[in-house]
Amino acid sequence: MKDGGMEQKLRSEAKALLEQGKVDYIIGFEAGSLKFTTTPLITSDKDDIDRLVINPFIVNNLSVYLSELKGRAGIVVKGCDSRSIVSLLQDNKVARENVVILGVPCSGIIDLGKVEKLVGKDRDEIDDITQDRDRVVITVDDNRREFPIREVLFDNCLGCELPTPQEYDILLGELTSAASDEDKIASQKKINSLKNIPPEQRWEFWRSEFDRCLRCYACRNVCPACFCQRCFVEETEPLWLLPVPRWQDNLVFQVIRNMHVAGRCTDCGECERACPVNIPLRSLTREMYDMVDELFHYKAGMDKEASSFLAAYEATDVEDFIR
Amino acid sequence: MAVSDISHRPRFLAKGNVYLPHIAVIEKIIDETYDTSTFHFNFKDEKLREEFTFESGQFALVSILGIGEAPFCICSSPTRIDHLECSIRQVGRLTRALHRLGVGAEIGFRGPYGNCFPLDFLQGKNLVFVGGGIGLSPLRSLIWNVVDNRDRYGNIDIIYGARSPADLCFNYDLEAWDKDKTVNMVTTVDKGDESWTGREGFVPQVLEQVAPSASNAVAIVCGPPIMIRFTFPVLEKLGFTPEQMITTLEKRMKCGIGKCGRCNIGNIYVCRDGPVFSYAQIMSFISSEY
Amino acid sequence: MKKVTDSKKISKKNIAKLLDEWRQEFTVFVPWRDEAVAKWARWDGKDTSFLDWYRNTVVPPKAIFFPPMEEMFSFQKDREGYHLELPASDEPKQLIFGIRPCDAKALAVLNMTFSDAYEDPYYLAKRNGGVLVGLGCTNPYDSCFCTSLDSSPTDSANVDLMLTDIGDDFLVEAITDKGKALMAKTSLAEAVTRADEARAKDVKETTYAKVTKKIDTEGIKEKLLSGFDNKDLWEKIAAKCITCGICTFLCPTCYCFDINDELVKNQGERFRSWDSCAFPLYTKMPMENPRVEKWRRLRQKVCHKYVFYPMNFDVIACTGCGRCIRLCPVNWDITQTLDNLSAEAQVKMEK
Repeated sequence: MKDGGMEQKLRSEAKALLEQGKVDYIIGFEAGSLKFTTTPLITSDKDDIDRLVINPFIVNNLSVYLSELKGRAGIVVKGCDSRSIVSLLQDNKVARENVVILGVPCSGIIDLGKVEKLVGKDRDEIDDITQDRDRVVITVDDNRREFPIREVLFDNCLGCELPTPQEYDILLGELTSAASDEDKIASQKKINSLKNIPPEQRWEFWRSEFDRCLRCYACRNVCPACFCQRCFVEETEPLWLLPVPRWQDNLVFQVIRNMHVAGRCTDCGECERACPVNIPLRSLTREMYDMVDELFHYKAGMDKEASSFLAAYEATDVEDFIR
Repeated sequence: MAVSDISHRPRFLAKGNVYLPHIAVIEKIIDETYDTSTFHFNFKDEKLREEFTFESGQFALVSILGIGEAPFCICSSPTRIDHLECSIRQVGRLTRALHRLGVGAEIGFRGPYGNCFPLDFLQGKNLVFVGGGIGLSPLRSLIWNVVDNRDRYGNIDIIYGARSPADLCFNYDLEAWDKDKTVNMVTTVDKGDESWTGREGFVPQVLEQVAPSASNAVAIVCGPPIMIRFTFPVLEKLGFTPEQMITTLEKRMKCGIGKCGRCNIGNIYVCRDGPVFSYAQIMSFISSEY
Repeated sequence: MKKVTDSKKISKKNIAKLLDEWRQEFTVFVPWRDEAVAKWARWDGKDTSFLDWYRNTVVPPKAIFFPPMEEMFSFQKDREGYHLELPASDEPKQLIFGIRPCDAKALAVLNMTFSDAYEDPYYLAKRNGGVLVGLGCTNPYDSCFCTSLDSSPTDSANVDLMLTDIGDDFLVEAITDKGKALMAKTSLAEAVTRADEARAKDVKETTYAKVTKKIDTEGIKEKLLSGFDNKDLWEKIAAKCITCGICTFLCPTCYCFDINDELVKNQGERFRSWDSCAFPLYTKMPMENPRVEKWRRLRQKVCHKYVFYPMNFDVIACTGCGRCIRLCPVNWDITQTLDNLSAEAQVKMEK
């Protein structure tokens, strides 16, 4: 992403929106407190606007904040994030007139985990990471190394279906192209490798993965589709799950969460990124996403006029499961 | 109910694993209102029955093993120690399960925890009890404690109210205190029904009407938060200083011993430094989140 | 000031042997990093590759003495009523090898809560039999800020033995009697040379300087209290937090827990599990919840660590390990918040 021009445009547009009173606050990204990180900036103060940035590290899906904030927001979104907003519009959770969508055409976000593995150093030991079109230059101890950009992008960026927001008010740059078929396959490599192992092994794999889960609920809280005031895990009458982090309860939590977001999950990948113990959650969410596509030819967040998938009923719906 | 002097009993301290509940058996259940009942129970272990003691204002963590645990104040008086009583209102999973239990069922009991009403401070003073709804529960322990040692205290005024006649709790106690000529019992309801012949009015309003003197007096208040918030200003108007107003706070609790963290207000733990606080102490709380 | 000449050294090549000796008496826990996550695990008896890794774990060692979930007791119901049983505790004493100074200090902080007033039997049974073998850092993260909190990356204050990495060997200092006894039993310790001592001193000084993140704790309690009721400021601070449990669960000094029961037919268990003051239901009562709003919960979290805990125990309940900053999905940074609050308080005072 060549960000220089986009950043300038973003700052002037955001400032104008606040000054003209068109929004109550701006939700965007600013430089984080650690190297190569960015952090959400939520502000109603126009003096904060010059802190807004656009770079290959703007990983958060900011639409998660729309469900809780009151008033009108100007929000910076990449293609995947804009789909989450459209999904929220379909759910009637957010009103279109309350969001001004500042669209960022995205060419992929860099996964620092992959960078660390490639160079064998931790994030704070790396001097510089710069994207140069389809290559990335990583500098460690004054040693420059170049890699194809594909090797450091997030998996779901590799298979990106909508890099540039379809639904926007202001577009901050040129349209970028969606992923090639080759890249789409690469993005599914981890997931497909799981599909190819026998069920008993797969069960053992997930059992050991969920043994690590601490039930921090980061996966749920970063997800824009999880906006329930009271989550099912917090219910006591009836009691579905204990808050105890046993692998059985953890697995059931994640499976039910996937069922609840089915048809509204846009595969933004935030759940997997947020997990502090690196459980490959996207393998589950993407599977759900693909199932919905296969069975119902539906993808969340593509058409704001479409009714919310599981909330709507058509006379032509398949009913062969009713015996 | 026999009045037994328990002053000879040493203060009861839990031995061993503080998280292990004692098993108690329900002996009697009195339905107070449509959603509140008072459970009378006794420890299964005879030795515990003889050793156990507590002070008015303390609470215990009552549980149904397998369902959960929650804090309830011990509403019987330490002067009537042949059994223990807790009043429980149906508000959630555990309390609804408790209401489904019958006489003979076993419950878990951990306690007593918390501080207590300061009897030394109250001695020789005129006492004004102000209670609302099930808030009479912790006050009840203190009232019987005081009435059973009547000559140690001055005048006793009890002002108690509920939303409607059907919401009045402990009717049998209200009758007894009404009959007691050494006690001024004032009962009120927010709104009466066709058969109600008593007073009508919100508790803070009735308190203002009764206007007990603040001279050498202490007010002990307990009820729903909204009642407490309107009662304190009335007491101030009547001349009570913040040190002369005492209440007991309610918080979500799990451990009961100041470890799990959730009942804290600033640096104090309601389960360990409370639940009894004077209004002067409450005003000095760092946070208003209670 | 303890004399460095009482120290010994152990060659890194002998660590496996040393751990094996200790394994006869203790369950040895080592930092364990695999594909998934860096945490603490029972040593498998063979692999010492963790010695090549010089950073701190994601899951802190508090998880050994205060696990994410723990059975408090089990119960059975029959015609005679309930029978309670405490869980079997037949594991030998635990030795934590390679604990960093921030985590060791955090255990000392946790100790205060778990032994205050009523003693917590589950934590103390494990902790009292436990031995801490500390390992000084050589390469702190950019999120570490232990030097601002009365500690350092090579602080030996809260361990039984302290190791300093001097290249091919570890310099070993016995800090407590437990540590001295352990050293006396092994024949793998060698004498140190003047060069070793100098190297150790150099490592400690160099590492101290590598900690770049700093906070000013001077008067932090008063500064935080002065802005306590500033709702607008706290709302702004809390705006990007998503109130998950990552910072509290991975914090080595956080100890809030929940107690829940499970029942299957006529038997069950009572568990305790990690809970977080950031969760919305943490303080919920049937009729009301004093901390519904996110900013209240965040204020509670910050003030508990920097104001309320010091009021009760005279120590800030934070040891600067930086996990909360490193692993927060939105990069919420407590050091930035403390700086902002201090600055606000300063402005207020000057008015």
